[in-house]
Amino acid sequence: MTAVRLKNVSKSFGGVHVIERLSLSIEKGEFVSLLGPSGCGKTTLLRMIAGLEEVSDGSIYIGEKESTWLPPEQRDIAMVFQSYALLPHLTVLENVMFPLRMRRLGSRSEQRERAEAVLALVQLSHLATRRPRELSGGQQQRVAVARAVVSSPQVLLLDEPLSNLDARLRESMQEELIQIHRQTGLTTVFVTHDQEEALSLSDRVILLNSGKIEQEGPPAELYSSPRTRFAASFMGSTNILDVELEESGGGARARLRGGQCLFLGASPTEKRSGAIMIRQEDVQIAAASDADAAIATVATRIFLGARTRYVLDLDGHMIRCLAPADQFFGVGQQVAVVIHPDKIRILSK
Amino acid sequence: MVEAAPRSIRVAAIFYLYVILLFVLGPLIVVAGVSFTAGDYVTFPPQGFSLRWYEAITSSSVYSGAALTSLRLAVAVTISATVVGAGAAIVLNRGRLPGTTMMSALFLAPLVLPTIIFALGLLTLWSASIGRTSFYAMWLGHTIIAVPYVIRTTLAVLSTSDKFLEEAARTMGAGPWRAIIHVVIPQALPGIAAGAFFAFNISFDEAILSLFLRSPEIMTLPIQIYTQLEFSPDPSIAAVSTLMIGLTIFVIFVIDRLLGIQSVAG
Repeated sequence: MTAVRLKNVSKSFGGVHVIERLSLSIEKGEFVSLLGPSGCGKTTLLRMIAGLEEVSDGSIYIGEKESTWLPPEQRDIAMVFQSYALLPHLTVLENVMFPLRMRRLGSRSEQRERAEAVLALVQLSHLATRRPRELSGGQQQRVAVARAVVSSPQVLLLDEPLSNLDARLRESMQEELIQIHRQTGLTTVFVTHDQEEALSLSDRVILLNSGKIEQEGPPAELYSSPRTRFAASFMGSTNILDVELEESGGGARARLRGGQCLFLGASPTEKRSGAIMIRQEDVQIAAASDADAAIATVATRIFLGARTRYVLDLDGHMIRCLAPADQFFGVGQQVAVVIHPDKIRILSK
Repeated sequence: MVEAAPRSIRVAAIFYLYVILLFVLGPLIVVAGVSFTAGDYVTFPPQGFSLRWYEAITSSSVYSGAALTSLRLAVAVTISATVVGAGAAIVLNRGRLPGTTMMSALFLAPLVLPTIIFALGLLTLWSASIGRTSFYAMWLGHTIIAVPYVIRTTLAVLSTSDKFLEEAARTMGAGPWRAIIHVVIPQALPGIAAGAFFAFNISFDEAILSLFLRSPEIMTLPIQIYTQLEFSPDPSIAAVSTLMIGLTIFVIFVIDRLLGIQSVAG
């Protein structure tokens, strides 16, 4: 069953297109991340689902219900804001009860029971009578999450909820979010600019670029097989090389600037200019004796403890790679570069 | 840092502040002192000590009638100015309407224009459109000059509050009106209370507008004091004034108890 469906949704602010004819559907119970750099339209998209921003064109369905023109209070949603947006004049418990009160769900005592149960879920029962300003950032965050899940909405919308927390707290909140998602089974849309966060939390990542979907899929797929240069560079440290693609005896090859070639696992392709992507952990370095491999020069060596990062000058392309710490090559040394053909991805633009 | 300043400068600074304080509080102390005089004239230092002028004003129906009128007027103005001013401030701050910057400036006009010009204009307008001046003319006039204070104090609080709270309330099922009632107003409350305090005091003290807009049979406390001062000045004026000061201090005390004085002063 579909929990959220967007059909050809567009949004423009004063003639500038922020979202252009975007369609997507989110299944019930799914955890989906909207990932992209700032200004890609991810927050606008989330706010349109919430009803806080009007669509310029297209339609939005929440559950089975066309909700394009419904005000936020009539949509079956809940949202966690980046600033948490806890009501300062209410206690923690009253904050969590607020959506139930506004939606008139259950009697006063039932509302209290439900709010207390959700507070227990985020382990904050002992702070129920405190005011938000008396809590730490992480505790405020958990109150905001509790308040969002208490009314069991059709969709839970999270707008960069972890960006105001320090690194360690962020990690534990990630685990907590996964746990809450598993326990409540709520359909969740999570907006973030942090690719690691998107990869570790979601069932599906939707990568946005200038108001369009660049690529979408399960985290592992997006990580290992980005289709475009933008997707490849956004999904973490990787090497992107501009090459000439050509054919040789049934296999495809990438000709580098200096004339050396890398074999590609992809099916034969017509001769053209293009870009390929190689993850730094997929590049292996060997002694320069291997005649079949491309030859590179070590440009920089950075010791990282468990591993060593090398920057290699491969025919005029600077490529970064990770090698085991026991492998040692000096700066300026000639080395062989071994890359499995299947690990080289051809990017579409 | 203050600690780093030479001793002579620190002494001068403290002296400077005390001099200002003397000018601010001096007249009030003189008035309070005169009110306890045993003599027949407004002189300072007072001659002897007695409560005779307090007895005089409490036994005189002139003052108690005027005080009652002033109090009724001040309460009515406090209610109307607070409702209008707080409403206007919320619209100006949250309405996302065009021209609100210019409008917030215009709303402050009664603060910067001389009251006497405003009083003359309102009198002319009232006479031309409604007719005879009355309690209601004074109510309207006082409300108009009190509203800018309420707008100011409410806007000051609202402009520092989190605008996402209202959106959050909407996503939690509150319609636009309920979001204002349950989220915006509770947040603006310190500012609204400060504005109400100012409105009460402005109305209770206002003489110029009242002089223009009252009908002959209506007497407010400031006008009564003024009349008395003109025709038969005696220390009863000082006694009334001291009671007015006392009332103001009492209101400040109540607000401090309810909301904390910081929110009113700030």
